[in-house]
Amino acid sequence: MRLIRDRLVLGVSAASLAAGLLAGGVAEAADIRITMAAPDWPPTRFMKEEFDRSYQSPDGHNTVLDMDFIPWPSFYERVAASLASGEQKYQMIVTDSQWLGAFVEGGYYLDLTDMMIADPELTAIMEDLHPALVSAYSTYPHKTKDFIAENEFPAPDTRYFGFPQFPDTYVTFYREDLFCHEGEAAAFEERFGQTLPCTYEDWQDVDWDTFRNIGEHFQRAAGDPLGDGVADDDFFGIAYQAGKGYDFSTMQINAFIWQHGGGIWDETEAPNAQAEGVVNSDIAVEAFEHYLDLLQFMPPVAQTGQMDIFVIQDLYMQGKVAAIVDWVGLGEPVLDPNTSLVHDKSAFGPAPGLRQEDGTIDRTGNIGGQPFVLTTWNSDEVVQEGLNVVKWWLNPETQKNFVANGGQSGLMSVMADPEYNDLRPWNRAHVEMLDWQRDVWHVPDFFELLTQQQEEFDRAITGQIDARTALDSVARFQQMLLEDAGLIE
Amino acid sequence: MAAVRSQEEGGFFAWMMAPERRGPMLVAPALIVLFVMNIFPLLWSFGLSFFNYRANRQDIPDFVGLRFYERVLTDPDVWERFQTTALIVGSSVLVQLILGFLLALMFANQFPLRRVLLMLVLAPMMLSFVSVGVFFKLYYEPTFGLLSQAVRVFTGSTYAILGSPTGAIIAIVIADAWMWAPFVMLLVLAGLVSVPKYLYEAAEIDRASWWRRFRTITFPYIRSLLLLAVLFRTIETFKLFDIVYIITEGGPGTATETIAVYTYRVAFQFFRTSQSSALAYIILFVVIVLTNLYLYAVKQREREVS
Repeated sequence: MRLIRDRLVLGVSAASLAAGLLAGGVAEAADIRITMAAPDWPPTRFMKEEFDRSYQSPDGHNTVLDMDFIPWPSFYERVAASLASGEQKYQMIVTDSQWLGAFVEGGYYLDLTDMMIADPELTAIMEDLHPALVSAYSTYPHKTKDFIAENEFPAPDTRYFGFPQFPDTYVTFYREDLFCHEGEAAAFEERFGQTLPCTYEDWQDVDWDTFRNIGEHFQRAAGDPLGDGVADDDFFGIAYQAGKGYDFSTMQINAFIWQHGGGIWDETEAPNAQAEGVVNSDIAVEAFEHYLDLLQFMPPVAQTGQMDIFVIQDLYMQGKVAAIVDWVGLGEPVLDPNTSLVHDKSAFGPAPGLRQEDGTIDRTGNIGGQPFVLTTWNSDEVVQEGLNVVKWWLNPETQKNFVANGGQSGLMSVMADPEYNDLRPWNRAHVEMLDWQRDVWHVPDFFELLTQQQEEFDRAITGQIDARTALDSVARFQQMLLEDAGLIE
Repeated sequence: MAAVRSQEEGGFFAWMMAPERRGPMLVAPALIVLFVMNIFPLLWSFGLSFFNYRANRQDIPDFVGLRFYERVLTDPDVWERFQTTALIVGSSVLVQLILGFLLALMFANQFPLRRVLLMLVLAPMMLSFVSVGVFFKLYYEPTFGLLSQAVRVFTGSTYAILGSPTGAIIAIVIADAWMWAPFVMLLVLAGLVSVPKYLYEAAEIDRASWWRRFRTITFPYIRSLLLLAVLFRTIETFKLFDIVYIITEGGPGTATETIAVYTYRVAFQFFRTSQSSALAYIILFVVIVLTNLYLYAVKQREREVS
């Protein structure tokens, strides 16, 4: 009887297998067009070029990746308007991590958790990704980096939505010709009793106090000696983002707040976490004052609240600043002789941080970069092909190619490759900074939180109000808004 | 009978163009476009302003009556933006009026290269808002901008006009006035050239002073056109968005955030769709009042001319 049952099972299994193979064999190649919303900049341009060059659908489809390149300043509005209009234009979207809540709650971003678990290749990718990236780019409701690191994939009570398209961190861009100049180093040593950082290892020991001294040291008027020559225009020592637009001051101010031991409203503890008393704590105020203090050594555009990430990149490329803290994603034009006067003089180090009592430096920063997601209206066939594109993009070979062309990888196996640090000059700094990354909120109300905060920060940056007044206003607004949204009880 | 046969022979086109329906058929396309592009969205957004609806959420809208109108009218942020808008509108229109008037007085006379200069003066008005915004943003840039460099020649230090609320408002007013003063000039110039020459000749015989000639001859002819210019520019400046958004993004803080920029933020960044609809209707009401004043001025002018 048992033999008959076993034979029956075997027969059914064989028939199923044959039917499956037959079905697989007759599946027709389809023409699939994936329209992807993408910011218009090198990391997405490369993705399109590489796709056209090397992608082959494992399912045999004729797949076209149609990138809708949107300029950065209008990227959010264009994507949001498309989603809200119901036009269902995009099958995939490169998205800022902060948008996850708004567009998941809106029903636009596809929950990929079950597909990731069911597909061994995707599971392997998720396990290989840096936990800071999984935390920021994929989870909603948001889970912290530590939670992701402590739990194997899939982490308990966690839903996953995205994969890294381009992981970004901010690092220091500096003028090697000035920082390694003997005369400048001697003058710096004499004035501040410190070594002027020249090598990568020197920059690993740069805290905000040293960065301030660098700002003071390199502030020159037109005609003053500078390195081997003279400054042909006013020259400035340092710059970091201090712009009113989008998140162009929050990203740096958050770093100061976290490094000082303060916090922002903690969405992972909602609805118990409060905004008032946290956002405007004494520590947060001290951290914000610290951030504001360094602005005096930056180019005068800092006084207007318009010193965003692109402005400091421009000023650096025009040879008007000695060192800036900016995103790795903006590094490639710096090395391009067509766009940069300092293309052959630039080197990169980790971003400065706050020295702790034990002498170590805390470099906690706000993560940049973008994940990419799939949308909910895709057919099963398009979803499957979209996931094939994800697997192709996060394949180690594609990722190395991407890194060699100015991108970054989120895969720990790729970052551990001995060749990795040599692929681009900022790679070592990026890997070092990645461990320090945290993210701002992901709740649906993030844009209101961000806009009001940016306005108050801007008032403080332009000297209209002090740090305490700004943070009190931010805390009050956040408390009210988040209570209305049911995120604070 | 012959006409009916002719229509039947001509088919559908002939039927449409029959004298009794030719008129309605010719205006129908325009009416359809107007309804689809203007009237329907207006009515739809008016309806939305009475519901609690956010375009980026899937929640079903629920009726809330006048709640959003009450919220908008009691929101101190809205009143602050209205005050900012009023300040910019008042200052900008005044500057445009003075500049436009002076330019018109200049161009009412004949002088060498007048045509070339006139073309140059009119050029800003023909540029796009984005171009003007970007141009002035670079012009005001404190590190390398022309304004800062010019100030440095005299003071020895750079100048960040956008660094203070007052400076930023002045900067916006200058940009807007630079762009639109030529428009005021055109209107005033039209009035100036319509003044009969014999009136000036008679005044000269009477040895009337320049001021008396201006007050009794020139000004009555251009008064209505000046009023038109004021109203037209007030309505347009009230909706000022592009230049502000590009030059200051409403900053420093919210010092230059006009009501148009604020409405945009509420609608397309915060996705408070119903609230922004209510706000838009309040702005529409203000613009309608101003438009009626404008139409009244036009009628006055027509009466004067006739």
